Amino acid sequence: MSWRLPAFTSTPTPDNYPVRVIRFEDVSVTYRGGVQALRGLDLTIEDGEFVVIVGLSGAGKSTLLRALNGLVPATSGSITVDGTEVVGASAAELRAIRSRIGMIFQTFNLVNRTSVLNNVLMGRLGSVPAWRSTFGLWPADDRERAMQALERVGIVEKAYVRASNLSGGQQQRVGIARALVQEPSVMLADEPVASLDPVTSRQVMGDLRRINRDLGITTIVNLHYLDLAREFGSRLVGLRDGELIFDGDIADVDDDTFMEIYGRAIGDDDLVGTQDDQT
Amino acid sequence: MTATHAPPTAPRPAPPTGVKRRRALLALLLIVGAVWSLTGLDITLDRVLGAPGDAWDIFKRLWPPAMGEALDRGVVGKVFESVYIAWIGTIIGAVLSLPLAFLAATNVAPRWIRIPVRQLFNAIRAVPELIVAVIFIPITGLGPWAGTLAIGLHSVGTLGKWATETIEGIDTGPLEAVEATGGRWVSGMRWGVLPQIMPIVASFWLFRFEINVRASAVLGMIGAGGVGAELVSQLRFRNFTAVGAVLGITVLVVLTIDSLSAAVRRRIIAGAARTSGPDVDGDRNAEALADLTGFRR
Amino acid sequence: MSDGGTARPVRPRPRLRTLGIAGGLVAFTLFAANEVHFDASTVWEVWTNPLWEMFWPIPWDWVLDRSNVLDPLVETFQIAILATIIGCGLALPISFAMSRLTTPNRPTYLVSRAVMNVVRAVPDLFWAKLLVTAVGIGAFAGTWALSIFSLAVMVKLFSETIDNADPRPLEAARATGSRHLPAVRTGVLPTVLPEYVAYALYVFELNIRASIVLGLVGAGGIGRVLEAQRQFFRFDRILGMLCIVFVVVFVIEQVSVALRKRLV
Repeated sequence: MSWRLPAFTSTPTPDNYPVRVIRFEDVSVTYRGGVQALRGLDLTIEDGEFVVIVGLSGAGKSTLLRALNGLVPATSGSITVDGTEVVGASAAELRAIRSRIGMIFQTFNLVNRTSVLNNVLMGRLGSVPAWRSTFGLWPADDRERAMQALERVGIVEKAYVRASNLSGGQQQRVGIARALVQEPSVMLADEPVASLDPVTSRQVMGDLRRINRDLGITTIVNLHYLDLAREFGSRLVGLRDGELIFDGDIADVDDDTFMEIYGRAIGDDDLVGTQDDQT
Repeated sequence: MTATHAPPTAPRPAPPTGVKRRRALLALLLIVGAVWSLTGLDITLDRVLGAPGDAWDIFKRLWPPAMGEALDRGVVGKVFESVYIAWIGTIIGAVLSLPLAFLAATNVAPRWIRIPVRQLFNAIRAVPELIVAVIFIPITGLGPWAGTLAIGLHSVGTLGKWATETIEGIDTGPLEAVEATGGRWVSGMRWGVLPQIMPIVASFWLFRFEINVRASAVLGMIGAGGVGAELVSQLRFRNFTAVGAVLGITVLVVLTIDSLSAAVRRRIIAGAARTSGPDVDGDRNAEALADLTGFRR
Repeated sequence: MSDGGTARPVRPRPRLRTLGIAGGLVAFTLFAANEVHFDASTVWEVWTNPLWEMFWPIPWDWVLDRSNVLDPLVETFQIAILATIIGCGLALPISFAMSRLTTPNRPTYLVSRAVMNVVRAVPDLFWAKLLVTAVGIGAFAGTWALSIFSLAVMVKLFSETIDNADPRPLEAARATGSRHLPAVRTGVLPTVLPEYVAYALYVFELNIRASIVLGLVGAGGIGRVLEAQRQFFRFDRILGMLCIVFVVVFVIEQVSVALRKRLV
């Protein structure tokens, strides 16, 4: 059941990837303290899709992503990625699964005090032996991968700059590069643009979309900005109170759909707006 | 009078009695404690009145300090020996305490290893360096190495506790990121925790060094190396000017080290504050806390 | 793949200054290690040394005899109480003098800071030894020495608190035309008083520990017994004593910590 794919020595193209399917079957997640974040979720995501998940805070978006890579253990149900079961997997199996899933975060989660390059190299922690990474003895292959990832997101010139010296948008790009360097089959993005201004948000969403198209990496993005969801999503999943209440093409989505997902009228806070809207 | 006469409102509340009662209780406790202690120690008024006179008598005789003779006798070298003892002792404490601290922090270590390690830190901290040295000396013999071991061992307890608290205060985001890439626990510590804590921990190490310099001077008094032995012998022979010199040189060296160390610590913390890492106020509080718990712990 | 746009940056070389500092520290450490006769093998020898037998078995009958351990412990306790009261009591006005916020004038500020710095620079037991020589062996000297130590610690902690206190009540008090002392009394003291008490409790904890070792230099308390037994190589008794002492210290500390939590 181990999910070890051959290591790629060049940036993978869609032809290299075998077909991969993500399947949630009746997945429930209850946190300690009794909060039930997901209830009986059923969801299938095909390889190469770009899925946007929307819902209010607390609707279960973050939990869904984190259940997928096992950061949050599912209480019941089954989550499989290309046949490999995530729920109940051992620690070693989880690490193997996670090394093929890249994740970017709302708060970027970079190591502020070190260089951009080191941050990107951290993506290889799932494949490099611990003693090598601990002392910074990254293999040359991995350094090459890191540089290529930085080139792909367009900030290679910042490779040796301290991560905290970058702007928000640049930091998120470092996060994307870190995920890319894992050569992942799946990319998870948990509110990747919530801390960014409208222009930068669109740049980052554009990057994610481009990566999905060029590299064929299945991408799942949590958003709470509905206009961005409409602009960049192709498939929309709506969660409310831990339940999946909408799953369909973005073209079929209108304001009423959003209202149903949110359970209330749409407000300004739910839109990222344009640069002119910023007060 | 009519100007100050207010229209009828709610009845005036009675003043709270709780505070006064507690204050009275506290004062009573202090007085009882003081009286009990004074009588128990047989401290009478004439002793108290006589003491400042006696003390002043001695302190007068410390001046002028016999610096020249002290330099000849190699007192400066002895003071430096105390510094070396403190330096190596602090390093030993730092090197041993940091890995242990990872095993003691609530947010990164599992329960079954966390509790024993924390108790270990507490147990070590409970034993003053002087007593550790007392226990060690018959076995290691007299000399600076006994003092170094005593300081090193005791520092593991204090530095361990501070490091553990620092680890528990980190932003767990980078740690989550490491987990998400499939990294092991060790990598999480190395990349997710260590970069965040290093400035504060290094600052603690320096602060402990300052305290340890004083501690190692004291250890000399029981023969564990350093300037303490010098003080004791000069006092025994009642060479007060020599004592003055020993004190003077010690104070000078300690003050210098304190200033240098404080300056370096400020730079380290300021450097850390420049990043969007742990909040600066938290660091300042950590420093104050370190000062708070610092002198003996 | 890169379209040959931006060139890759070159890895920066470590700065000469950083290397210099690192090298200097390493050299100093090696030098110091040599000076202290660093010898890792002795650690193993310590572990396996047969002299450890001297620590066992613990003579509980001697340890639990009142006059041997418990009475001196009470004396230690009393020293700690008095030293805390005296030290913290004196620390109150001195801290105000030492703090930028509440100092009456610049000379007072500078002088008090300078004096306290020097006092703190002297290792605590040096004070004890000096005072023992001055006023004789016993708890009296120990109380004085520990009072000075308490004063030093308390002043450092408390003056920092005052520095960080909210200056606005003081401004308001001054604005009413009040003189300096009453202004401080009403404008600053109430704010910092809870912390004062918390620190005092903390200093008390420190003093309990410190007073144990005072006796090693002849300044009274349980330390005297320790020293006496040490000279007779009765380490088994020492170990027994330490057990009792640490249990008592632990209990006192827990109470003190609990009280402190309630205050701050």
